[in-house]
Amino acid sequence: MPQLLLGNDAIALGMIQSGCQVVTAYPGTPSSEILAGVIKFKKKLGADVYTEWSASEKVALEVALAASWSGLRAATTMKQVGLNVAADPLFSAAYTGVVAGLVIVPCDDPGPHSSQTEQDSRLMALTAKVPVFDPSTPEEAMAMVEAAFDLSERHRIPVILRPTTRVCHAVQSVDIDDPAQKYKANGKAGFKKDPQRWAATPVFRLKLHHELNAKLQAIEAEFEKSPLNTIFNSPISNSLNGELEIGRIGIIASGVAFATAQESLAELGVSAPLLKIGTPYPLPRKLVSDFVSQFDRVLVLEEPDACIELQIPDRTRVSGRLDGVVPIAGELTPEVIMSVVAEALERAGVSVPPPPDDATLASIVQSLKITPRRPRLCPGCSHRSAFYTVKHTFGPNAIYPGDIGCYTLGTNLRVVDTCVDMGASVTMAAGFYHAGRLIGDKRPIISTIGDSTFIHSGIVPLINAVHTNARFVLLILDNHTTAMTGAQPTPANDFAADGGAATRVPIPDIVKACGVKFVRVADPYDQEPFESLLKEAHAFTQSPDGGVAVIIADRPCVLYDDTPVKSNPMPVVVTEQCDGCRYCVEAFECPALVLRPDKSRVDIDYRTCVECGQCIDACYKGFIVPKELAVSDQPLAVSN
Amino acid sequence: MERKLIIAGIGGQGVVYATKVVSQAGLLRGERVLASENHGMSQRGGSVMSCVKIGGSDAPLIRRGTADAVVAFDRLEAIRNLPFVRAGGNVCVNTPDGLDPAVNGRLAEMGVGVHLINANALANELGASSAANLIVLGFAAAHGALGLTLDDLKESVKALGPTKAVEMNLKALDVGAAKAMANGRFA
Repeated sequence: MPQLLLGNDAIALGMIQSGCQVVTAYPGTPSSEILAGVIKFKKKLGADVYTEWSASEKVALEVALAASWSGLRAATTMKQVGLNVAADPLFSAAYTGVVAGLVIVPCDDPGPHSSQTEQDSRLMALTAKVPVFDPSTPEEAMAMVEAAFDLSERHRIPVILRPTTRVCHAVQSVDIDDPAQKYKANGKAGFKKDPQRWAATPVFRLKLHHELNAKLQAIEAEFEKSPLNTIFNSPISNSLNGELEIGRIGIIASGVAFATAQESLAELGVSAPLLKIGTPYPLPRKLVSDFVSQFDRVLVLEEPDACIELQIPDRTRVSGRLDGVVPIAGELTPEVIMSVVAEALERAGVSVPPPPDDATLASIVQSLKITPRRPRLCPGCSHRSAFYTVKHTFGPNAIYPGDIGCYTLGTNLRVVDTCVDMGASVTMAAGFYHAGRLIGDKRPIISTIGDSTFIHSGIVPLINAVHTNARFVLLILDNHTTAMTGAQPTPANDFAADGGAATRVPIPDIVKACGVKFVRVADPYDQEPFESLLKEAHAFTQSPDGGVAVIIADRPCVLYDDTPVKSNPMPVVVTEQCDGCRYCVEAFECPALVLRPDKSRVDIDYRTCVECGQCIDACYKGFIVPKELAVSDQPLAVSN
Repeated sequence: MERKLIIAGIGGQGVVYATKVVSQAGLLRGERVLASENHGMSQRGGSVMSCVKIGGSDAPLIRRGTADAVVAFDRLEAIRNLPFVRAGGNVCVNTPDGLDPAVNGRLAEMGVGVHLINANALANELGASSAANLIVLGFAAAHGALGLTLDDLKESVKALGPTKAVEMNLKALDVGAAKAMANGRFA
């Protein structure tokens, strides 16, 4: 019976069915649902699987690696930039190899939709010298998980499965014949010492490098014959023009671009030879070269960068991302692929019908200039209260290094000036301080980081900043969860990924242990005391014996724990005097504060308002007031 | 027969659930389904759009000019996604007002059916302000815009559960469908 499966659930089910016993992850879009899926299926099927939300991707990969060396199949998932964090163990593990199958799943984000780069994890695989699978659909991703474990185990090498956003977050009807574990552990479990491999010194590392190269050669030979690399469609025929000369044009595609290219060709009524590559590295070079040699021109469609194209030995007849025939950045949407394919066919003398896209309608819509609604912090979000008070305290002159999470949206409120990577708020703050000292720039530096990100990558930078006598205010926005990616627990929670008990590592203790002398915990909802605390913290950074001052803004994410808000509701109204000055809408930016279309005044949207009362101070004219104080005969503002 | 549907709205309006209802309906009919969802930043009150293909290809996205219907829970999101609709397709929108005078002429020339419903008001009457999405779906189905019948959607809602939400959701589908019938259309 077919079921609807999210791509990430399909990958999770593939892991359970493959007998994977350890799955670790650090959350990140578009990968986050995989571990949640593993937990769901392990409970459903009664499978004995250890799962953890690790403190970082590097931690996740190393925990999984030890499981593999102990003879247990293991997997780890992350977003593509997470693989940068895990690059160190990845490169080393390629040399040492594995015992039981080890599958690493970095999820790429062509576009990018929710990442700081469009980097290609297949190129990371190429650089680290580990094989990579590139699925086109959830169904194929599920099948590839099993193939990846099998390959990893037979060749004793870590294997990457690289889905993209459109695979991870696609929902497909998938035939699930038998959702039981198909694979049983091989019974050779238990770590076996082999220091020349597991603790190899540089002399042995050279030997391991040769061994790795030999493995890759064997794997490439295997990929030459793999059904994952298959030619679809007969030599070119054109339903519009009848038979055309054979050998004018061929297409090589992988991942989602393959499925889209297939659809485009079908819509155009053209049957062009299409080589699907399911294993971009090591590329089956003979298969690809033989294919290329049959055509005048070969188009390569892949995301997000050029991995297949880069490995083709002779590219004189090849067009793709590298020569710019395919746009060199951005997602290969159906519009892009249709236009690239249609153009290539035209150049090869195949006439194609114009696409039905209506340019007139599109240009009318464009002329209306409807900008996409930008994401905003949720109503009741404590980050907003913290940011609003920070802005009120330090103004536009201060330097505000930011970090990765919901609170990157502090850019909207103009209290996030930089966003580099996980943990950079702390290092950049120190860097701005040291640079400023050299040039006499005395602007206050206030950096913000979330609880999960602080534990992931903020601790070492904080130790470094304290040690180097940097002076800035670090605001740890502790909402007790990893909110942006769906509320995964952090080490500061007392429960684990699957709900089991875990040991809480309190953030204030960590901060104190880093050597910080000014550590305070405060509720950002108490805006006035919070402002005083910010001033006190800044004064500490300026005092003779001062250094880094840390404030932990402590309030749970309202989406996942609204008890503090619910237990102390503060409903508000906008009084009749509201003149539509827009100050609250722009400076506080709560989605529940809505400017009327005629811009005459602001209303509260009571459907989304959580009654936190935090916006009262957002109207400096005093027109947002607690409901209980509003004059009884005054008409209450009601949203349409 | 392949159906390509765009479902659009703002984070919090139930685009993801509506996508599930339509997808599950296709599945229950024994057809291939492929839907693409938005996750991440888009869930924080931003624009949300999903593509659903029933009985169609393995490509997750829908190309401009090829969607059989654009179903939108917000007027501006509807207009933004209009370029996806094909000639002869349908646009079903939750709005108390018209679409936009600027687009009406061209849509008429393309033979696109434009169906407007004030689903927020109907949802409030129903006492379930969050059910506007299902009212629009019922409305769209009754207009024949989805290639799915009202019964297909109802079976889907029942299959998806949870039990306590099913009754209200079925009512919402009926309210939308009734509005379409009142407009003189019959599913």
